[in-house]
Amino acid sequence: MCNNAYIPIPMKVEKILSENPDGSLRTFDLSFVNEEDKFDYMPGQFCEFSILGKGESPFGIASSPTEEGILKFTVNRTGSVTNEIHYLNVGDVIGIRGPLGNWYPLEKLKGKDVVIIGGGFAFTTLRSMLIYMLEHREDYGAITVIYGARNPDLLIYKDELAEWDKRDDLTLHLTIDTPVEGWDKYCGFVPTITEQVSPDPSAWAIVCGPPIMIKFTLPVLKKLGFDDKRIYTSLERRMKCGIGKCGRCGIGSKYVCIDGPVFSFEELKSIPDAF
Amino acid sequence: MLKIKKTKLNEFIDHLNKEYSVYAPVEHGKKTTFAKIETALEIDHSIYNTTKSAKEVFFPQAEILFKYSKDGLKVPERNEKPFALWGIRNCDTKSLKMLDSVFGDAHQHPEKNYFKDPYWKQKYDNCLVFNLACNEPLSTCFCHWFDGSPFDKRGSDVFVVETADHYVMEGISDKGKKFLESYDKAEKADDNDVKEIEKLKAAADSYLGEKVDTKPVHDKLAKVWDEPIWDEISAKCINCGACTYVCPTCHCFDMDDEGKDGKGSRVRLWDSCMFQLFTKEASGHNPRGVAVQRVRQRIMHKYNYFKDNYEVDLCTGCGRCVSVCPVNLDIREVIKKVLEY
Repeated sequence: MCNNAYIPIPMKVEKILSENPDGSLRTFDLSFVNEEDKFDYMPGQFCEFSILGKGESPFGIASSPTEEGILKFTVNRTGSVTNEIHYLNVGDVIGIRGPLGNWYPLEKLKGKDVVIIGGGFAFTTLRSMLIYMLEHREDYGAITVIYGARNPDLLIYKDELAEWDKRDDLTLHLTIDTPVEGWDKYCGFVPTITEQVSPDPSAWAIVCGPPIMIKFTLPVLKKLGFDDKRIYTSLERRMKCGIGKCGRCGIGSKYVCIDGPVFSFEELKSIPDAF
Repeated sequence: MLKIKKTKLNEFIDHLNKEYSVYAPVEHGKKTTFAKIETALEIDHSIYNTTKSAKEVFFPQAEILFKYSKDGLKVPERNEKPFALWGIRNCDTKSLKMLDSVFGDAHQHPEKNYFKDPYWKQKYDNCLVFNLACNEPLSTCFCHWFDGSPFDKRGSDVFVVETADHYVMEGISDKGKKFLESYDKAEKADDNDVKEIEKLKAAADSYLGEKVDTKPVHDKLAKVWDEPIWDEISAKCINCGACTYVCPTCHCFDMDDEGKDGKGSRVRLWDSCMFQLFTKEASGHNPRGVAVQRVRQRIMHKYNYFKDNYEVDLCTGCGRCVSVCPVNLDIREVIKKVLEY
């Protein structure tokens, strides 16, 4: 990264994948335009996606550092910047600032069982972590994934979910909020399904999803006996500068952009307005 | 200590102008703000303190981060001389140090990939601060609540006192001393000047209102965070954000693109934690969507959160927020309420 953290680096759109039938979720694979701009990152970090003339929005990096040469972002079309991102074509050049923030505690997770709990399109950095762990499979114990969305269409990375489902070295539990025809997996909210699956509390839990999901999943994990120090979550805020200055993402005396976005529940307990 | 006749200020400012871009209080319509001056004649001596604080010299209300076009990005070049501030009061002088801890990356997270703000640094580093003592503090002033006083010299490069006929100057930092040495037209201050300054200082201190011990505020705030006291405090706040704009320590900003047809600028603009849209996310989720949460955030940030990180309150008691508030929400009353709760 150059000396001026406000300057985005150019990246080229290599691939665009529509994640659901209505096209509201799209995944963009980007490549570095300049070799010297290449940066290292870890699962859980985020970038500011910059569209000149429209502005910037923060997104978690969905690719894993093990997927060399590309950065992957999954973008929900919801505001003016994301709208513009959805208009991008393969070959277009956009700006990226990053990598920003901290990452999932992959060092601490070594040799441990891990439960990944995700909701909706917040599965992005969890994908990054999961791919990373599968690439270093021998470093980790049992991996359990609980992933839910409102309906089957809103589950992202469907092809990969199908592959993961076939693997015998990870357990995948998918759920949707309300039953639909042809769905033979879980039905119900993520917190409820987490309670049903009842993962062993000796594992470490990584939770990422909409604020409401995190809020109701934490008590379930507590009830199951998970220790606060072994529950991690990634928070979302409207981060603008990404470098701890603009004041937008403050939670207590912490800034989500530099002290997070990944926090242990132990840390969040003492922060008054984390949720 | 040196002194120059008030009538000779022009010569001094001319000398200062050779090495520095000089900023001083200048009248603009009904407001007085820090602006670049060429001669001492432009300085507004009539006001007690500027309407907006000195922060805007280093952190302007709108600042271009870069320009973009088909040819790429271009950061505006800065060919200006270093900045000198004339006529800044100690409440603002202190605030610059606080802002430097945020923008200049003083000591938070040295272990992290934490960035210096180049736009702040290039203006703030090497600046020369002529801190003017306050002979007549206003009724809204409360610097003495936060370890300040009208004749506080800390943070100054040169400490200036306006006496009946002179500006008496004392070099505080090496930079300040060196500059004063470079000026050969000043007279030496004598015992009479020292006596006059002592009198002025005593008078200034006597103008200050009641003093409240603000040390317990930090811990008290942590205790009352979830209490109904905030409903009472925020009841009359209309979330106009005026307090945050005039505040010498508030530093929240937005980044916005201005331009069309592929050509324009990315601009940094002052923003305010008082505004509902400040934290609203694209999903519709808003962590501080209710007015009471925003008022609490401002107070907590000033007197609790910032202190956790930098061991100082993010307030210098300049009193600007007290004078501009359209609904008379006096931050001193808020502090007292919290302490009494």
